[in-house]
Amino acid sequence: MQTSSSSTQLLLASSTLISQGAEAASPLRISKVFKARLHPASRNDAKNSPDEFVLLKYRFNKQYRHPTLDGTLTKARVTGEARAIVKCQRAGVNVPSVRMVDASEGVLGLHWIDGKSVRFLLGGGAEGEEEVDESTVEDVVDEEEEEDLLAGYDISKGTIYTRLVGRDASDEAVEEIMQKIGTEIAKMHRADVIHGDLTTSNMMLYHPRSGRTDLVLIDFGLAYTSTLVEDKAVDLYVLERAFSSTHPASEDLVTLVLKAYEKTMGKEWKSISRRLDDVRLRGRKRSMVG
Amino acid sequence: METFAYPQFPSDVSSVHIGLFKNVTNAAQLKQRLISAATMPGPEGEQERAAVNFAFIDARLICSLVHLQTAIYQAILAHAQGALRTRTVHSEVLWALSPSTNITDAIRRYGVSDTTESLILVRIGAQGGTSVETQMASIVKGDLSSLESLPDIADWTLIRKYHKITAPDSKKSVTDADLEKSRALVVSLVAAKGVLS
Repeated sequence: MQTSSSSTQLLLASSTLISQGAEAASPLRISKVFKARLHPASRNDAKNSPDEFVLLKYRFNKQYRHPTLDGTLTKARVTGEARAIVKCQRAGVNVPSVRMVDASEGVLGLHWIDGKSVRFLLGGGAEGEEEVDESTVEDVVDEEEEEDLLAGYDISKGTIYTRLVGRDASDEAVEEIMQKIGTEIAKMHRADVIHGDLTTSNMMLYHPRSGRTDLVLIDFGLAYTSTLVEDKAVDLYVLERAFSSTHPASEDLVTLVLKAYEKTMGKEWKSISRRLDDVRLRGRKRSMVG
Repeated sequence: METFAYPQFPSDVSSVHIGLFKNVTNAAQLKQRLISAATMPGPEGEQERAAVNFAFIDARLICSLVHLQTAIYQAILAHAQGALRTRTVHSEVLWALSPSTNITDAIRRYGVSDTTESLILVRIGAQGGTSVETQMASIVKGDLSSLESLPDIADWTLIRKYHKITAPDSKKSVTDADLEKSRALVVSLVAAKGVLS
């Protein structure tokens, strides 16, 4: 069905493979992620701006599926992810913009976010295979720089690459990041988009331009649209669990996130909060009894 | 004029030439020429069509080079896959830019009109067309300019209207951050057009 010489395949062949299995450390590898330049640099353009890099998320052929089914599913997933991103963007949520779509080949090109995941900044440790070579190199650099960066940490001035290991919720920088997380999630939920995989590795901090720091939500591979209070509450519950499993003693952090979420969400918060309490008791899956 | 090479595409569409003309004075004639060239019979018609074989785009509706490149990329991709929705790869660029799925609509809004002052010409073709710039200059009366001025030409009132983007609060002034977000959204809308409806 797919020839290996198709244009998009050639593009992938000339790109750098970043990781296998975009869904972080999931054992089910469903995609490969590449870093590439989509558009060649023009003659008189010497600057190597990060703007020009794209992330290519390639949902490759699954040999265990019937080709027809595989094609349909892949197409639907690329489409779904692109739609969710556009919907978020319309609502003003910080997400990487779509740069290229080839649904029939299963490739989605996204703006390359040159930042660090919240998980990394909070010291959540390695994310499975992701950025194996890169993160080890960066780790060393970051630890060297940590000493002086810690002294003058100011999120608005943009020293975001300071690791926040060992800091608690009373720290101003941590507090600001948690507020940003809550605000972005609330904006997304107000647009009725459910992320489906809210973890700290799917949130990145970066500087789009100097002097500003944005929190960007990434990986909408599991996202869907829903107006239900239940789905929004479960989305938050997944986030809570993600925090507690990767960052020890993070209850205060989650409280900060929810506080900012409440502020942006407005009157919808009341019902979501009540439902969140229910979900905490029963877990993510709803009981099918009755 | 600038030239971009896309080695991953078939050789007949691997080279993209983009020229931006400002202070264009012959937009109305140009439009007439395009319309008549489309139906001209015989070898004369072939020649005339070859002469105006470009995508003509109103520069006011383009907010950045990436915006234009995204549309071009999706058009070439459709061509390479034999999935063009319009007759040529050039008209496909216009279709990709337009939020509507109506081709006439796309050409009317994004193409050359009688009042166009800033015009972008795009030629998608084989590599090594050294005469493209001369050819562009021979059909458009205007000043060939740097593509870097695209963001300054952009008419945000029109872009917002066509893409149905809610305008930022009129009380507050539009910040760079707002504009950046709008630009990113427009690029997304163009890239994802094929899967949005």
